[in-house]
Amino acid sequence: MNRSGQEPEAQARGITARGLTIGVIAPIAAAVGSIPLSTGGPASAIALFMLAIVIAAVAGGLWSGLVAAALSSLAVPMLFSAPRFTLRFDGAEDVVTAVVFLAVAIVVGLLVGGASDERARAARREREARLLGYLSSKLLSGDVPDRVLDDFASVLLDPFGLVRCEITVELDGQQLHAFASRPEIEAGGPQAILPLVVGAIAFGTVMVERPAGLRAFTPDELLLLEAAAKQAAAALDRARLDARARMAQLDAETNQLRAAMFSSVTHDLRTPLTSIKAGVTSLLDPTVHYEAEQERELLTTILEETDRLNRLVGNILDLSKIRAGALIPTRQTAAIDEITEAVVARLAPRLPRVRIRTKLREDIPEVQVDPMQIDQVLTNLIENASRHSPTGGEIQVSLATFRNRVQIRVTDQGPGIPPEERDRVFEPFYRARTTPETPGSGLGLAIVKAIVVAHGGRIWVEGAPGGGAALVVEIPEEEDAAE
Amino acid sequence: MSLVLVVDDEPPIRRALRTSLEAHGWDVASVGTGVEGVVQAAEIAPDLLLLDLGLPDMDGTEVIRRVRAFSQMPVIVLSVRDGQRDKIAALDAGADDYVTKPFAMEELLARARAALRRAQSEEPAPAVMQFGGLRVDLARRLVSRDGEQVHLTPTEYGLLEALVTNPGKLLTHQWLLRKVWGQGYGTETTYLRTYVRALRKKLGDDAQAPGLIITEPGIGYRWIGELTS
Repeated sequence: MNRSGQEPEAQARGITARGLTIGVIAPIAAAVGSIPLSTGGPASAIALFMLAIVIAAVAGGLWSGLVAAALSSLAVPMLFSAPRFTLRFDGAEDVVTAVVFLAVAIVVGLLVGGASDERARAARREREARLLGYLSSKLLSGDVPDRVLDDFASVLLDPFGLVRCEITVELDGQQLHAFASRPEIEAGGPQAILPLVVGAIAFGTVMVERPAGLRAFTPDELLLLEAAAKQAAAALDRARLDARARMAQLDAETNQLRAAMFSSVTHDLRTPLTSIKAGVTSLLDPTVHYEAEQERELLTTILEETDRLNRLVGNILDLSKIRAGALIPTRQTAAIDEITEAVVARLAPRLPRVRIRTKLREDIPEVQVDPMQIDQVLTNLIENASRHSPTGGEIQVSLATFRNRVQIRVTDQGPGIPPEERDRVFEPFYRARTTPETPGSGLGLAIVKAIVVAHGGRIWVEGAPGGGAALVVEIPEEEDAAE
Repeated sequence: MSLVLVVDDEPPIRRALRTSLEAHGWDVASVGTGVEGVVQAAEIAPDLLLLDLGLPDMDGTEVIRRVRAFSQMPVIVLSVRDGQRDKIAALDAGADDYVTKPFAMEELLARARAALRRAQSEEPAPAVMQFGGLRVDLARRLVSRDGEQVHLTPTEYGLLEALVTNPGKLLTHQWLLRKVWGQGYGTETTYLRTYVRALRKKLGDDAQAPGLIITEPGIGYRWIGELTS
């Protein structure tokens, strides 16, 4: 294992400039310190050198201690045996001193080295745990997989001293590619490629690269990278399973809707067709002579039923567009008050059973909307209100602005909608329990809601004073002002 | 008797139109494709073209463009409800009006008659037009309401003139902006809206129960004032 100099465990391994310096300076300091003691015999001086060796071994590691011990072994006889200041090494006493010095250096150096190794390992483990923790929090954020992978790639750069990190993933047939790099540093150093694997499923690979001229990845680093890759693979696996679950749920909803649609459509299409066919065959019957009034009545029924059929087909088309995600507003600058007036002008003659009253404030700002879709929202809301209105009832259409949003409120004097049903009225094929016989496809409000949502707006039901229902729509003035 | 050319690929619709139109005194020719439609329009020179936008062989807008290359005959487009954008494209390409399928015959006949009237009375637009109490003197550029003079700005007058000289015709935002403001305009619907509002107010028309100007949201405006003389 060979790590760079600033890492703590290095002091116990090999000799460094710092270790050598300490190993040389410590005995010199001991020698200088022992000069005043030289007359008193070597005992106290030896203690001083011993201290220097211990200090060198503690501060500089094993090699530092050994250097200090060697120098001290030479210094002691030089300083304390006559003739002084001559380099000599004989006599059993000197050998014993040297052996003791070296033994002290080795024992202390190894002890210190072991302790600092332990410390370094602990510190590394902590760093690794922190890194993996950070990665897993990033990966489990539930964000879209490609953004998570981008994050993941850039997070790896620093701790591993990378110049480039590239992730290639295939997730449910979708190719994802994440990339992070330090373009300011020259690439071309050692590389490593790690698999992204969970169980038997391989998602792809992580490719990492160091700057040119840097040392290769150590086995420890590779282990850590592998652990990180495993976490990424686990996160991808989770994203894949989430997507599966969502698809399954969507499928279930679609199937449920399809079933509801099928039974409703079959019934709703057949009813007007029955009336039309009955009316037409009656009129074509050569054996019957109808009075003008009877004939007119039959023809009126045919006309009304044709209109009903047409509305139903239009609604089903809209609904399928919504389901296919094709209900995209074509926005242009429009005035909702102008659209409201046009819709009222068009509907009022067609809905003679009710009175439509408008309350349009002067200060309604222009908005970025699809005018035809907003036309449809207003048309469906007013037609819906009229179906639930008593004869002669009033439908109020009011517009107001409220914090960068235009609020449309359509209030009727019908039976109202009980609070527990208020969310359900926007479901396709839902029909109010209070008025189950009301004609209508049960699609109008579902379409309204889809359009409103596509505009970044909201819709809800309130009770109206006097017992009716108020349907409230809020449309943001600007496309991006949606909450 | 006027001659109408019906271009629609659905035989039942062609048959229903033929029966009803003939009963109302029209001569009817009908074809099922856009190519035949353009050829017939050139050969028999009908007084009116009824054109389905959803033809199998050619985009309806393209048919209009080709017909407009040699004729100014009135064109009424038959379109399904969903085809709003196609309608605008058709109107901008030179169609006079549109009717949404399925339509009531009386609506189609009313549109057809209005289009025919416009085409036939094209050259000498009357110098003075009277719509109930509203009097528009195109020669003197004077407008009065129940005998009282109405003061219009030049832009308001330009807008009114564009409307009354195209009675019953659906005028798109783009067409009106270019006609009244100039060729460089086309998307400034806010101007148009402001002036239509001002004009309605000065002429005493109610947008919620209009007698003069109808708003077609997202498309344009239509003058529905009835000429009285």
